[in-house]
Amino acid sequence: METLTNLVIHGLLYGGMCAILAVGFALIFGVAKIVNMAHTAFYMVASFIIFIGVSRVGLPVWLASLVSILLTCLLSVICYKLFFERVKHHETAVMIISVALAMLFQEIFLLIFGGHYHGIPALVKGFMDLGVVRISYKNLFALGFSLITLLGLWLLLSKTRLGIAIRSVAQDREVANLVGININHIYMITMGISAGLAAVAGAIVAPIFMVHPLMWMQPLVMVLAAVVLGGLGSIKGAVIAALILGFAESLVIFLIPDGSFLRGAVSLAVMVVVLVIRPEGLYGVVFEEERL
Amino acid sequence: MYLEVRNLTVLYDRAMVLNNVSLNVEKGEAVGLVGPNGAGKSTMMRAITGLVQWEKDSLKGTTKGKITIEGSVVFNGEELINVPAPRIAQRGLILCPERGRPFREMTVKENLEAGAYLVKDKRVIKDSLDKVYYLFPRLKERIDQVSGTLSGGERTMLSIGRALMSQAKLLLIDEPSTGLAPLVKQDLFTRIKDVHGLGITILLVEQDISFAFDLAPRNYVLSQGKMITQGSPEELLADESIRRTYPGL
Ligand SMILES: Nc1ncnc2c1ncn2[C@@H]1O[C@H](COP(=O)(O)OP(=O)(O)OP(=O)(O)O)[C@@H](O)[C@H]1O
Ligand SMILES: [Mg+2]
Repeated sequence: METLTNLVIHGLLYGGMCAILAVGFALIFGVAKIVNMAHTAFYMVASFIIFIGVSRVGLPVWLASLVSILLTCLLSVICYKLFFERVKHHETAVMIISVALAMLFQEIFLLIFGGHYHGIPALVKGFMDLGVVRISYKNLFALGFSLITLLGLWLLLSKTRLGIAIRSVAQDREVANLVGININHIYMITMGISAGLAAVAGAIVAPIFMVHPLMWMQPLVMVLAAVVLGGLGSIKGAVIAALILGFAESLVIFLIPDGSFLRGAVSLAVMVVVLVIRPEGLYGVVFEEERL
Repeated sequence: MYLEVRNLTVLYDRAMVLNNVSLNVEKGEAVGLVGPNGAGKSTMMRAITGLVQWEKDSLKGTTKGKITIEGSVVFNGEELINVPAPRIAQRGLILCPERGRPFREMTVKENLEAGAYLVKDKRVIKDSLDKVYYLFPRLKERIDQVSGTLSGGERTMLSIGRALMSQAKLLLIDEPSTGLAPLVKQDLFTRIKDVHGLGITILLVEQDISFAFDLAPRNYVLSQGKMITQGSPEELLADESIRRTYPGL
């Protein structure tokens, strides 16, 4: 019973974090066709900014998290302007640049902080006692925050003028021009939102996991797997697939003794199997851009 | 002159799709542009609304071919040839593309909202929406339907509706009747006449010249990238060169 509850909580928590990461990746890909391999590097950067804010500057965790999310958005927009914008029509170049960016961020933090693991104090402390198990408030909080973030994104995309513009660009760039949408502008904003989501994921997990310059790699594999499983370009697919993968990885950790080193293999295995059996994923979108 | 296209030339790599074409539209007029398949009609519409320039820009840094565009497009006294497409839309020069091209995963309502993207005034949006519902009651019935599942005629209506939401002053409509049953065509053209009746200037591209001639007192004939002639339906029907381009007449 205890294992089961723990499994569910860990699965939801990890799956929720994965979902936020994957949805940001799917968003910028769907809108601007940018395969952003630096996506989870933004998540790493955000975690480090929180760590620096708390341990070096002495900010409270909530403030450090807020600052981190804002700075990460800003950083991504600067990266877009400096590196992506001029090659945005060349998909391969965009991808190579994003890999280079990820390595750059990693090396910077390795140089400054070395390869150590750093901890961040939790925003909320204590446990909720359910008799059989105790759930820490920080996990509960993380869970709630993931949910709110996903809900907020859904509201943004479906109810606001900006959301309509973002979806218009994702569906038909040429026609988006015709209704007066500045596509480059929308790309830039979407990049900011996408990195902001990565930063939120960072803020959620930083107090739970450890902060480390290489922490972006394993989630990147998971995000790629989630996007493949969900169907390239589908945001709904990315969320559902990330939850599935989060649970699958939790299952491996809880059911196989000493099996946590295998968790990365789960995502890779799922990705390979999906590519072989159903390349379009759960909610595949057909990629044909019509012309007039 | 409301819209004045002068010596417009478009090349895709070395293929000349438009060869020095010119065209005028007066304010309040309904003008037809007819011509056989591949004449360059759509390319002309895309060049006027800035899409050819946009496509050209989006080839930068890629290994795909090269697009050349030359000439002048003046709307309301303003040169637009180097103005980006979204700004041209802002001026009220709006294109209804071939097959309507609604945003397929969005509902009818959301498509109309996308059309009103540049409109800030809530009252103007509401008025335009009422106008669209009045002209196209079918759209109102299907307001929450995902537009990818609309019929061909409904898609065209939606794209005209979307253009009205964008506060179109000059509406370019590219082959609205393609693939529609005769009765549906007839109904659609009555609607387009209603739109014209609202005071909106129309430039209509058609392959089916009977519809173009019915709506527009003045028509241009484009063939193989060249503007062959222009005139009233009677003049054109009497013209030998038209019979050669349109053997079926
Ligand atoms: N992006 C492009 N690249 C290369 N060639 C193009 C491109 N767009 C159009 N063309 C060519 O330009 C010519 C004119 O095309 P266009 O679509 O303008 O004709 P049209 O008069 O609209 O024909 P239809 O009545 O079939 O719609 C065609 O030969 C077409 O192949
Ligand atoms: Mg055409």
